[in-house]
Amino acid sequence: MSPTTQTRTITALVENESGTLNRVVSLFRRRGFSLDSLNAGHCEQDGYSRITFMIEADDGTVTQVLRQVERLVEVVEVEDVTHEPNVTRELVLVHVFGSDIELNRAGLECIAKGGKILVFEQGAATMELSGTPDQIEEFVTNLSPQLKRTVHRTGAIALHTNPWR
Amino acid sequence: MERTGAQIVMAGLKRHGVKTLFGYPGGVVLPLYDEMLNWPEVEHILVRHEQCAAHMADGYARSTGEVGVCLATSGPGATNLVTGIATAMMDSIPLVCLTGNVNSWAIGKDAFQETDIQGISIPITKHNYLVTDIDDLPGVLVEAFHLANTGRKGPVLVDIPKDVFTAVTSVDFPEPESRPGYKLAKEPKAEDIERAAEMLAASEKPILLAGHGVVSSDTAESLVALAEKIDSPVVNTLLGLGSIPRSHPLALGMAGMHGEAVGTIAIQEADLVVSLGSRFDDRLTGDTKSFAERAKVIHFDIDDTEHDKTISPDLRICCDLSFGLPALIEAAAAKEHKAWNKHLQEVKEDFPLVVPEGRFMTRHVLDGLSQATKGEAIVSTDVGQHQMWTAQFYGIEQTRSLLSSGGLGTMGCGLPYAMGAKFACPDREVWAVVGDGGFQMTFQELAVARDHKLGVKICLCNNSYLGMVRQWQQLFFDKRYSAVAITSPDYAKIAEAYSIPYLRCETAADVDKTLAEARSIDGPVLCEFVVEAEENVYPMVPAGGSNNSLMHDPDLKSKTATGGSQ
Repeated sequence: MSPTTQTRTITALVENESGTLNRVVSLFRRRGFSLDSLNAGHCEQDGYSRITFMIEADDGTVTQVLRQVERLVEVVEVEDVTHEPNVTRELVLVHVFGSDIELNRAGLECIAKGGKILVFEQGAATMELSGTPDQIEEFVTNLSPQLKRTVHRTGAIALHTNPWR
Repeated sequence: MERTGAQIVMAGLKRHGVKTLFGYPGGVVLPLYDEMLNWPEVEHILVRHEQCAAHMADGYARSTGEVGVCLATSGPGATNLVTGIATAMMDSIPLVCLTGNVNSWAIGKDAFQETDIQGISIPITKHNYLVTDIDDLPGVLVEAFHLANTGRKGPVLVDIPKDVFTAVTSVDFPEPESRPGYKLAKEPKAEDIERAAEMLAASEKPILLAGHGVVSSDTAESLVALAEKIDSPVVNTLLGLGSIPRSHPLALGMAGMHGEAVGTIAIQEADLVVSLGSRFDDRLTGDTKSFAERAKVIHFDIDDTEHDKTISPDLRICCDLSFGLPALIEAAAAKEHKAWNKHLQEVKEDFPLVVPEGRFMTRHVLDGLSQATKGEAIVSTDVGQHQMWTAQFYGIEQTRSLLSSGGLGTMGCGLPYAMGAKFACPDREVWAVVGDGGFQMTFQELAVARDHKLGVKICLCNNSYLGMVRQWQQLFFDKRYSAVAITSPDYAKIAEAYSIPYLRCETAADVDKTLAEARSIDGPVLCEFVVEAEENVYPMVPAGGSNNSLMHDPDLKSKTATGGSQ
């Protein structure tokens, strides 16, 4: 019976210190946990950050990841929010070049998904879209192959939305 | 009161009871070395290589339970500590490692002797710091000592730029604060202890597997009390040796790759294995699928990451053994396991440790050392065959007395471990058991032993091979010996060069006499035992193999074989 892997969303609250992010990333590399994305940013408390990790892992690996991350001195809390009430969002910036027909089609798709056209000019457009990682994936993979593109995804950030947990 | 960074470091060491500091000076730590002259109560030991500063601090910590402290300058000084720090990390040894760094404004500019020791040491420290603000220094030092010696212990590195040593502040040492993310496991859950007691009650063939956690938590007495109350045999990991006296009738010695047959067999036959502070290292378990295959497993560990890492237990109890063991003793019903213990005694008699007669082997030396010192000396080892024979033959009677690199398997640590221990415990008899490979890695420290008239006795077992590697090449690479024959200098001349007495022994018959003479000498002494070249360590479980398939000593069936001293 091979353990089944799935994409897991893990969030952590950490103290900001020299080396904190380095320590977290080093842990994933050293223990052989593969990281799909990592996003760190300021949060509601001064001196602390929230980090969201997306990993592809089975239950046993997730348990190890949670315990290993928790063990780091500057990690205040860590949780797997995959199956908890949560909001998970990713932002993508896309710069595309091509024919006006293809650009129009891409722009309409972006707006239909709730995104914005930041720049639209002869032969080129810049768009932003936020959504779930799956929505972003779908938008990016459905861009016309005729369009040359530069794509920058932020990786997901997630919030556990049940405050009474 | 305003103080410089250098004064704060020295005051911090004094505040934490540090009497001995192992270090090596250099450019950026000049202000600290200058300040040191004002603090005679903290003795600085000038090592001959920074690696040995870390190893000596480690030996100091292993033998006392106190935090060991080492100090190195920036760049190569700091990187030379790395092996020593990694060794301590793998074995959860409390160290505070101080390094100097270039001026804070020069960091990142590839200044002379600059290295990113914080980045380098992240994976091999429990925690580390780069202190760029003098106001942070008192708090960092307090926290470093707190982190090193609480919870699962380990090395903490504090990197201090040169200008921070000379900057001044009026900030004083704070009380150690509990950081929000630093959670210490203490008491076990009552329901877990209750369940463990039920599992013990249901067990006919229990084994207590006592690891390094019993030593680190100073709970050896509780371990023995538990074993006696439930009449359970005790098997040790390498680093757990000493947690039950080897002379105790319930002590079965070490299990695993080169453990005694009875220890390994006991785990395989047991119906319950209670692991107390062991991390189920691969040298213990062999193939994990067949490890303790008839047993339910209870895993006590202070560090939750050890649960399910290599072995998934039936019951995981995350606690400090100084709470967990008394709770279990209280909850467990007194029992007798006469049949089980009798059976294991028979196994022990069937598969004794062997010291072949008519030859001269390392085993004769260690058997002799064990008898001469009654298992009461502090014994350090390097890594390899002599390390395993020490674990098998040295009948260790108490904790903090077998100092050995269990996890990292660091050659060359034997001599500096013994020296660190002798600095810490001047009244104990201290032996460094080393091979000719490891000894050549660090024997420059003999100069330190001579300078301090440090009474370490060196038991050098010279077989002219890197013996363990040779054994593997013999057994698993068709005896194609590749880079394992190793020459040595003339050790008599080495000893003479360092003004240290030298004793040479070439026959088993002279072992006792040589040891007696060494023990009568005040100060350091180098004893070279010129032993048989191709001696193998048995029993053996090939790497990754099952503990069910022990390779026994071919000499076991020989009529000339006799049991070891145990």
